[in-house]
Amino acid sequence: MRNQVWIAGLAWVLGSCGETTHSAFAPLRINGSTTVNLVVAEAAEVVREKAGIEILVDTQGGSSGGIAQVGEGRAEIGMSSKPLSDRDRKRFPEVDFVETTIGQDAVALVVSKDVWDGGVRSIAKREMLAIYEGRITYWSEVGGPNTKIAFFNKEPGRGTWEVFATWLYGDADRAAAVSFPEVGGNEETRNKVAGTQGALSQLSASWIDGETVFALSLEEEGELRVPSAEEIRRGLYPMSRPLVLLTDGPPEGFEKTFVDFVLSPRGQAIVEKHGYLSLTDLNK
Amino acid sequence: MNQTARTHSDRWSFTRLVCATFTGLTVGSVVLMALLFAAQSVPVWRHAGPEYIVGGDWFYRQELFGAASMIYGTVVVAAIAVAIATPLGLGAAIGTAELLPARARLWVKGAIELLAGIPSVVYGLLGVLFLRGWVDDALRSAGYEPIGGDTLFTAGLLLAVMVLPTIVTLADDALRAVPGSQRAAARGLGMTRAETVLSVCVPQAGRGIFAAVLLALGRALGETIAVFLVVGRQDGQWPAHLLSFERLFEPGQTLSSKLGGAETNIAYGDPLHWGAMVGLGLLLFCLVTFASFVSGWLQKRGGQVA
Repeated sequence: MRNQVWIAGLAWVLGSCGETTHSAFAPLRINGSTTVNLVVAEAAEVVREKAGIEILVDTQGGSSGGIAQVGEGRAEIGMSSKPLSDRDRKRFPEVDFVETTIGQDAVALVVSKDVWDGGVRSIAKREMLAIYEGRITYWSEVGGPNTKIAFFNKEPGRGTWEVFATWLYGDADRAAAVSFPEVGGNEETRNKVAGTQGALSQLSASWIDGETVFALSLEEEGELRVPSAEEIRRGLYPMSRPLVLLTDGPPEGFEKTFVDFVLSPRGQAIVEKHGYLSLTDLNK
Repeated sequence: MNQTARTHSDRWSFTRLVCATFTGLTVGSVVLMALLFAAQSVPVWRHAGPEYIVGGDWFYRQELFGAASMIYGTVVVAAIAVAIATPLGLGAAIGTAELLPARARLWVKGAIELLAGIPSVVYGLLGVLFLRGWVDDALRSAGYEPIGGDTLFTAGLLLAVMVLPTIVTLADDALRAVPGSQRAAARGLGMTRAETVLSVCVPQAGRGIFAAVLLALGRALGETIAVFLVVGRQDGQWPAHLLSFERLFEPGQTLSSKLGGAETNIAYGDPLHWGAMVGLGLLLFCLVTFASFVSGWLQKRGGQVA
């Protein structure tokens, strides 16, 4: 811990000594969402080899971490699994954020096997709201088994949480101040939901396997919405979201090389491989 | 001896200059760090005032910053660790210092000290792999309905294993520092071996043992990654009564697990939020410094007695 704080302190000292400029020989630093990372990490492998660029990919702080690091000039490309909000832009008024959408994903509400087998297959928005605000605490209150709801909240600020909170409250800033055990990246969320009785959490739809974690349908105005490719593409599933690469100004140099690769047919094939919708899927 | 050294070093020799510089750098970096933390956390003290320490709610979007539940988590997790590790460690130290022959003692002590060399993330993974499931099962069979096995207690249990070598090694050293003549005198008075250990050696080494426990406490307070993996990371877990146990078997948050999470990155760039995070670092720094200071002081006093 102390090491991390030290590094943060040192970074601050160095940062205030003068603006660090990014030379052509420095590595391309990419940081942000674990959701987008699946695609970017694989694309980076290819670009490293083909173009001989050194690329560092990290997932510190999820989408908000990516936005902040691009805003602070500590990363060249940010990965975000939510559209940029006015709040984000206001935080870094001097930065000209340019969003390049590389695909589409959705946030699913996932449950563990015991809940799924206990008969919970869908959830209404008002039910989710009541669970989030602590008014419903047992699955039996929403037609399930008599187990306690073990809700794992995505860390507020992560892309998944922002999309979820925007769906529930219209604006993530209006979300209630609640207290739940928190989970970070997608792997952690999936493993905790799979390994806990009565678990419920928000998770990228591409991680649903139907064996350890199961996606609930969302009930809105009497219609059931499932996070399937078809419903996401047609914009019917309420919690769909773009996968975004962020740059300060339009991509240039190595940034452009990388972004162009992800947009190319080969890059888009990687997007599809990880269970997301590619841009061609979206325009069908 | 001391005086000759003094007269020689009255002149500014090269060696003296270099050593003074390094000493200054070392001391200066600690002071600089404390000052840096204090300066960076000014916005949150201005914003929240004393609420920052006594307030139990932390929700950065509402600009609510209260670290009380994290301080509570940190102290409770470390206390559980020390409460479990102290009897175990003291027992092991008595075993190595008083019962084992010299050669076996070195082997056993070496093996225990190996525990200290294992990276904390490995402990964390073991915690995820075994402890989480065990605690979950234990709580369920005790009639609780836990949200998984990530609790303050789980983190304390894991930390107990991690601080054990500190207690064993230092308590062993303290016991070995009790002069052999004392043992011989006790045995000569007809005391049994157990009586000798319990009423002569342990009381004489008491301060040293207490210092060992406090040093272990210092380590437990600052440990991050292992705790992060099994503590559950739930904010606002302030107990109904300070001495009630209900929060121990629920997920919680410590100062270090909060700092190890995503919020540090999210906070970067927002002076108030960043100040709040750095303030947590400052609080942790104060807690650990206090524990090490008391421990060092007692060790010195203990040495004088023995």
